[in-house]
Amino acid sequence: MKKQAVGQSMDRVDGRLKVTGTARYFADHQPEGMLYAALVCSPVSSGRITAIDAAKALRAPGVADVVSHLNAPPVPGYKADNPNPKQGLKIFYDDRIYSNGQPVAIVVANTLERAVHAASLVKVTYAQEVHKTDMDENMGQAFQHKNMKDYLRGEADAWKKAPVHLEAEYNIPIEVHNPMELAGIIAHWETPDQLTVYAKTQGVKSVQQTLKTLFQLPESQITVHSRFVGGAFGMGLRIWPMEVATILAAKKIRKPVKLVITRKDMFTLVGYRPAARQRIGIGATTDGKLTGITHEAVANTSPYEDFTEAIVNMSRMMYACPNVNTRYQLVPLNLSTPVWMRGPGEATGAFALESAIDELAHQLKMDPLQLRILNHADTDPEKHLPYSSKYLKEAYEMGAAKIGWQQRSQTPGQLQENGWLVGYGMSSGVFSAGRGRATASATLKADGTLVIRSAAADIGPGTATAMVQIAADATGIDAKKIEFLLGESAYPEAPRQGGSSTVSTVGSAVNDVCRSLQQKLGEMASAGIPAFKGVKAENIQHEDGQLVAGNTRLDYAALLQLQQLPELTVTTTSQAGDERKHYAMYSFSVHFTKVHVHPATGVVRIKHIVSVADSGTVVNTKTARSQMIGGVVGGIGMALTEEALIDHRYGRYVNNNYADYHVPVNADTPPTDVLFINKKDPVINPMGAKGMGEIALIGFAAAVSNAVFNATGKRVRDLPITPDKLI
Amino acid sequence: MSQAPNENPSCPGKRDKHEARRDFLKQSSALMALALTPPLVVKAGEHDETIAGLFEKMPVSLEVNGKAYQLSVEPRVTLLDLLREQLNLTGTKKGCDHGQCGACTVHVNGQRINSCLTLAVMQEGKKITTIEGLAQGDTLHPVQEAFIKHDGFQCGYCTPGQIMSAVACIREGHAGSPEEIREFMSGNICRCGAYDNIVAAITAVKQGGHTV
Amino acid sequence: MNQFSYVRPASQQAAIDALTKDKSARFIAGGTNLLDLMKNGVVAPEKLVDINRLPLKSITLNNNTLHIGALTLNSEVAAHTLVTTRHPLLSQALLAGASQQLRNMATTGGNMMQRTRCSYFYDITMPCNKRTPGSGCSAIGGINRMHAIFGASDQCIAVHPSDMCIALAALDATVLVAGPKGNRRIPFGEFHRLPGNTPDKDNNLGKGELITGIDIPASPFTQNIYYLKVRDRASYAFALVSVAAALDISNNTIRSARLAMGGVAHKPWRLHEAEKALIGKTPTIENFRIAATVATQSARTYKHNAFKVPMAQNSLVTALSKAAAV
Repeated sequence: MKKQAVGQSMDRVDGRLKVTGTARYFADHQPEGMLYAALVCSPVSSGRITAIDAAKALRAPGVADVVSHLNAPPVPGYKADNPNPKQGLKIFYDDRIYSNGQPVAIVVANTLERAVHAASLVKVTYAQEVHKTDMDENMGQAFQHKNMKDYLRGEADAWKKAPVHLEAEYNIPIEVHNPMELAGIIAHWETPDQLTVYAKTQGVKSVQQTLKTLFQLPESQITVHSRFVGGAFGMGLRIWPMEVATILAAKKIRKPVKLVITRKDMFTLVGYRPAARQRIGIGATTDGKLTGITHEAVANTSPYEDFTEAIVNMSRMMYACPNVNTRYQLVPLNLSTPVWMRGPGEATGAFALESAIDELAHQLKMDPLQLRILNHADTDPEKHLPYSSKYLKEAYEMGAAKIGWQQRSQTPGQLQENGWLVGYGMSSGVFSAGRGRATASATLKADGTLVIRSAAADIGPGTATAMVQIAADATGIDAKKIEFLLGESAYPEAPRQGGSSTVSTVGSAVNDVCRSLQQKLGEMASAGIPAFKGVKAENIQHEDGQLVAGNTRLDYAALLQLQQLPELTVTTTSQAGDERKHYAMYSFSVHFTKVHVHPATGVVRIKHIVSVADSGTVVNTKTARSQMIGGVVGGIGMALTEEALIDHRYGRYVNNNYADYHVPVNADTPPTDVLFINKKDPVINPMGAKGMGEIALIGFAAAVSNAVFNATGKRVRDLPITPDKLI
Repeated sequence: MSQAPNENPSCPGKRDKHEARRDFLKQSSALMALALTPPLVVKAGEHDETIAGLFEKMPVSLEVNGKAYQLSVEPRVTLLDLLREQLNLTGTKKGCDHGQCGACTVHVNGQRINSCLTLAVMQEGKKITTIEGLAQGDTLHPVQEAFIKHDGFQCGYCTPGQIMSAVACIREGHAGSPEEIREFMSGNICRCGAYDNIVAAITAVKQGGHTV
Repeated sequence: MNQFSYVRPASQQAAIDALTKDKSARFIAGGTNLLDLMKNGVVAPEKLVDINRLPLKSITLNNNTLHIGALTLNSEVAAHTLVTTRHPLLSQALLAGASQQLRNMATTGGNMMQRTRCSYFYDITMPCNKRTPGSGCSAIGGINRMHAIFGASDQCIAVHPSDMCIALAALDATVLVAGPKGNRRIPFGEFHRLPGNTPDKDNNLGKGELITGIDIPASPFTQNIYYLKVRDRASYAFALVSVAAALDISNNTIRSARLAMGGVAHKPWRLHEAEKALIGKTPTIENFRIAATVATQSARTYKHNAFKVPMAQNSLVTALSKAAAV
């Protein structure tokens, strides 16, 4: 038998395309006759449009049209009389302005420069109304979404009675996904009812479904291309109003139209991690057994949609604690709708919970690692189910050994190196390990190559590479002869790439379609190949891309050749069974950091990071490591640098660019060790792989703030930990 | 508008003539607009378009990846947009358009720069290398090889800029230590966070003694 | 960007003429700030006068004075042996700014012409006296964490963004200017302006005047120097506070001192009083603390930037300690 592909450190199958500049992202396409679009966005944060004067723009050279609510083609899917207005922003539907930066018109011209300039010539007048963008001033507006009920286990607020307890507030600001690739779309109505788009999305089928509903066209008349996506981190999980605006403009003008939004507009048009105010009460016995946790969170949403995520959920299940109550509320603000951002709500919640655990450990005069181990949940305390697999204790041990945890001083501010204060911190992360439903087709060709198709996405983790490895093991065909194609709506159904579930969901479909292919090949051999005559299909073995019965071996390719078939295609749908009824399934992470804090200037430098993942089987150790260090870098930003600032007088962002909204640069990152438990989960899917994308980030910010406390004795509960907060 | 190769584009005399034509254009379209009734103003816009196409462009000669181009562009076209939208060299990426991310990094006369913050017309006579011009035929540049081997990317969008920057970083002599690489590669943001692998890739090329 | 015309004059005089006769013309050198501003609609010149081909690219030593041509790139200056050996403070400051790509584009003259990074200046939808005189200062009552603590006015509290200029202020450079009325020399400290009632004016250049270079006099500041930049991330960010510190120490006594700060004022902020307080003193932390206290006496803070006073003091002490190696 040849070496197993899963678990190898295989180079990315699309690496060559990416390093030569030949990987084509949505904006790299140029359909014949394509025009360029630029947006006109509202500088007011609430009110109505009273007039749009596009005359000057229309007179400018090369301008094809200026499209707005005044002249946009109707969208059949907009429901005028929908009793629930909270169904998303209906772009160009009416004159309402809900948030600053909302697109009010789209200008189309024959060059990019002309479109951009003409957009500046459109004069829009507004009837301005009072806006609300300040979370703290509007806490009174907090309400509970019907799907987000209070949770209670045991006694409410039991922490208050505990001999050792504390209560603290933890705040995170708005953070913005800010993938390197600017958002946008190319929209092309090939006929009045045949739409093709090149999109930046985490799910081509999801875009197709949304467009189907909006434009009431059959699926077959909507084509979505999205093979390469320049990062998304959640912002590509839905279609955004400016994409619909572009589609409307293209419909009106009857030419392909490309929109690439500006970096500034990335703050207002494609979602963000909502700001959150969190309060944690936590209590323990004097020897460190948790007796109560209360976790309450308030996060913002938009005026026209309720965005919810799992901010308080980790507190319900991370530790063995008899009394837990949680509450989660929303405050509508005049901002666009948030959307899941890597780690999503769990990352927000983990910062609060894992900081509070560290604070409790300090009060208990206990090592925070010991406190976590002492309160380890051996079964899921929320669902009361056994875990499908959980190696968190091993992860704690591995990480502690690697970072040199024994060098940490229990008393803060004790260690120094070269005039810098030294601190060690840690935290845990957890995220549900999911498996959805996906379909894949496998086409075996007579030359022995295998092409697998599924409408999956790759926003960076290396989807195709992992799928090729899974298929190589399932079929025994050499990985070099296997191609995995994704990012086309014409391919078999796959869910969006989100929630750390692509390998689990699509990988299972790939595994299963390979099995179906083998089954089919077996049947063909049994029925049509003399050497296999009389051997039942199910008794034919499969080894190294060959059918085997006793001493008889036949290459898959040879079988097709003998049957005079140029190729053979099978399609299989795969989904989870009822495992979730019997097991709690989670991925876990542990993050350790060593930080330096400059006592005079308050500058924090992370010197070493160790992150450990308990994510089941690791399909590709190279790309998995990249995913982990990527999450860690996102976590560095969350911990130290990222904060989208709004001037509430205008309701407008003031640092909406890459110079002032600081995502980490190379110099912010230290050497990072990634360790994998790499033990197969026996339940979740055929590969035994749990997810990794979210746990890479979840908890990380707390590992930094805990280390900063250990270095300085200062507890920063408002992220990011910028130098001014430590001076 | 094309230009004979022996014409000197920096000759002030020629420039003045060009400006004079442009001033005439402004005046004449203003007069035209005055003379027309409002519904015809849009028509005038279309007319402007034709004239603008003729007069608002400037000749520029430059070399990209060894290939000579004689082009006619509006002065406001950035080098980045010229490469992407007019020369179909879409390997160079736009990440911010304001010199704040490095995705658009190319080499001009061997030096790495942000192509979004320079005008195409300013590149008269310059030799430009983009990511498409780095490999020798099918043979990848050692930095490209190293980025694949060390997985110096995830989504790949910042990668052309990272690689162009990395090649220059090594040539400049700024790849002496991981710390120096991290500092001198800080003008290239990678939101996927592949920095540790990028440092490993550059270190490997540097230590491998490859000619870059 | 609006459509504009573009000329590439063959001589310095032609460049000056081009700017003098056309009110809305602007010089373009590296373009790293001007094009950024044009893309944001902050400025909209109708003509760009490309000066990059003028012969102003040189680093030479004349009678111990270092001359740097205005078009010499930031990266070239930072790496030049005459700079690293004679004025290493300048090299350190340059390398603390921007990225290598930008330093390969930005010129010495252009760096001096950089406009503030104040968010309200950059966003044309919000009032700003610097961009639109008389419209009001949004920063005073707005988000002003990055803003000035020295020398601001009730018209403008923006800060100067350059690192290079902080070192040049400390090194007593002279700006060489050519213009319609001939050549003149401007002491570096008089080149940039405080906002006062004319925050739209960043410097004292007249219409049509072109920076041709800078002269840096010989100085004893080759060993005990340090440029400290405190910022929100480790690289590629503007300063919260920066300090250019240069000491001339012999026999454990400070003979002379130069101190300038960035990120704290509308111009490079030279600390003459603090310098005086150091002369004749021994280089100790205690004496540095005294100087830092003197340096920040005139500080005035706003809602979000009060931290800059202790940060400035601590940064001064840190930079001086590094410079003195104590």
